Amino acid sequence: MKSFLRWRIREQGAWGWFARLRSGRVDERVDEAWSKWLAEDVAHARAYENTELAWELSAELKGRPKLEALLRDLEAQFPADTRRAAAQASPVRGPLAVFGQSWRLAGLAAVALLCVGVVTFFMLNRVSVTDYTTEIGEQRTITLPDNSQVLLNTATHVRVTYSRSLRRIDLLSGEALFQVQKDARRPFEVHALNGVTTAVGTEFDVQVNGASAAVSVLVGTVKVEGTAGDPKGQTAQVTLGQAVDYTAAGAVSAVRAADANRIRAWQAHRVVYTDVALAAALQDYNRYLRVPIVVGDPSLAARHVNGVFRIGDQTAFIHALEEGLHVKAVATGSEIVLQKP
Amino acid sequence: MMDQLPPGTPQNERPESELLHAQTSDGASAAMSHREYVTQLFTKYRASLQRYLTRLVRPEDAAELVQETYFRLLRHESMVRLEAMARAFLFQTATNLARDHRRRGVVRRSDQHVALDDLEIAQEHQGPEQQLVGEQILAQIERAIADLPADTRTVFLLHRFRDLSYPEIAKLMNLSTRSVARKMADALERLSSVVEATL
Repeated sequence: MKSFLRWRIREQGAWGWFARLRSGRVDERVDEAWSKWLAEDVAHARAYENTELAWELSAELKGRPKLEALLRDLEAQFPADTRRAAAQASPVRGPLAVFGQSWRLAGLAAVALLCVGVVTFFMLNRVSVTDYTTEIGEQRTITLPDNSQVLLNTATHVRVTYSRSLRRIDLLSGEALFQVQKDARRPFEVHALNGVTTAVGTEFDVQVNGASAAVSVLVGTVKVEGTAGDPKGQTAQVTLGQAVDYTAAGAVSAVRAADANRIRAWQAHRVVYTDVALAAALQDYNRYLRVPIVVGDPSLAARHVNGVFRIGDQTAFIHALEEGLHVKAVATGSEIVLQKP
Repeated sequence: MMDQLPPGTPQNERPESELLHAQTSDGASAAMSHREYVTQLFTKYRASLQRYLTRLVRPEDAAELVQETYFRLLRHESMVRLEAMARAFLFQTATNLARDHRRRGVVRRSDQHVALDDLEIAQEHQGPEQQLVGEQILAQIERAIADLPADTRTVFLLHRFRDLSYPEIAKLMNLSTRSVARKMADALERLSSVVEATL
């Protein structure tokens, strides 16, 4: 019995610790206690390896029918709106966030100010980690400690990690435009999917779109690495007026011309479509809409859209489509369907 | 090879006690070079990492991947120096390398005695070899998730596949953050035991 209890406690240690380290309630003291526990007994280390392996392997299940079915059940239970509302109420998440909570006092003012984001200071290295998000249709500008600016487009989540030696942004979803202050000793890194874009002083846009990311440079030059930290990974130098795409697997495309008009336009709360197929225009415009516009008749998808539209003025956009393409928009509740009249 | 750090690392030049001292004394810690920090991390977790990788690839390949992980981390100068994070990063990097390794394995095995055309097909048709482990093990983990108690499963799925934090999940499910953590631990317990039994 005694040995069973011991086993129980010991084993529970691994799952308990692993879960706790992801809880958002961990500070340096807990970090130390964890490290001590791990070193105490090789059985602890082994149990922790099991848990870590279980965690990593569970990620391999993405895309499998059974798991996807479970996730769909989840979406039905918690609609996307609920998800985002919750996310805004409590912005801290992810591996860095776990060290945040006990330093939260310092961040309270920031939370109140920004509605979102908790500033975390590690006394040892003075690393600060802050999350910023925008809702669907929302845009906002954030000014970083070095006066670099980040403009967040719709439905975007970034995590900012700053220290004396590091300027790092993780673009977890959406799109952002970066205006970077020069600091040769502290490169400015934007991590998106598995790739990283490095700049010194420049202005560039990164957009995550499903399994691929696009980097467009408006001023200066950046380096894009398809796979962060892989010496053999594909890289590209991208200079003003140019753009590249890379995939989650790290494949970097050839350099192409950047669509600077599009980027300047969203900066001014506008979208610009020049001879864009309706399907592509809708895919872009829907990023700003909670109730998406869809094509009801496949023959409409290839028609072209031209014009400059205000982001947020959905009515005007739909009206322009109705007029310009001779279609009729019908609201079904969950979407707006474009049909032939 | 597997019991030594790569040649030329400070480990060969400095006694371990000094490295540990550098970690605990505040001033020295900031001054510790990236190379020293990574080396120290490896000194501590090397055996664990080796065991971990041996469950994903052949032992001789695991030794090679440990080395590769070390070099990978050396290049990654922006590492945040907190142990739980550093260790998680170390193991994640190794896991990714193991995945790449399995991918390459398909090609290597094929090119022993097949024509180039077949090789290209093998590269395109990677199938289960892209996975870290065999289909059966994944199926068992998937089943274990499906079989979790409903609340526990929901917590796990929201955290693992929807990136929600505990407080977010707590709010959604009307639970305390503490019980979210407990359910997370319960889920991990189930999955760990599957991994322990099958790998």
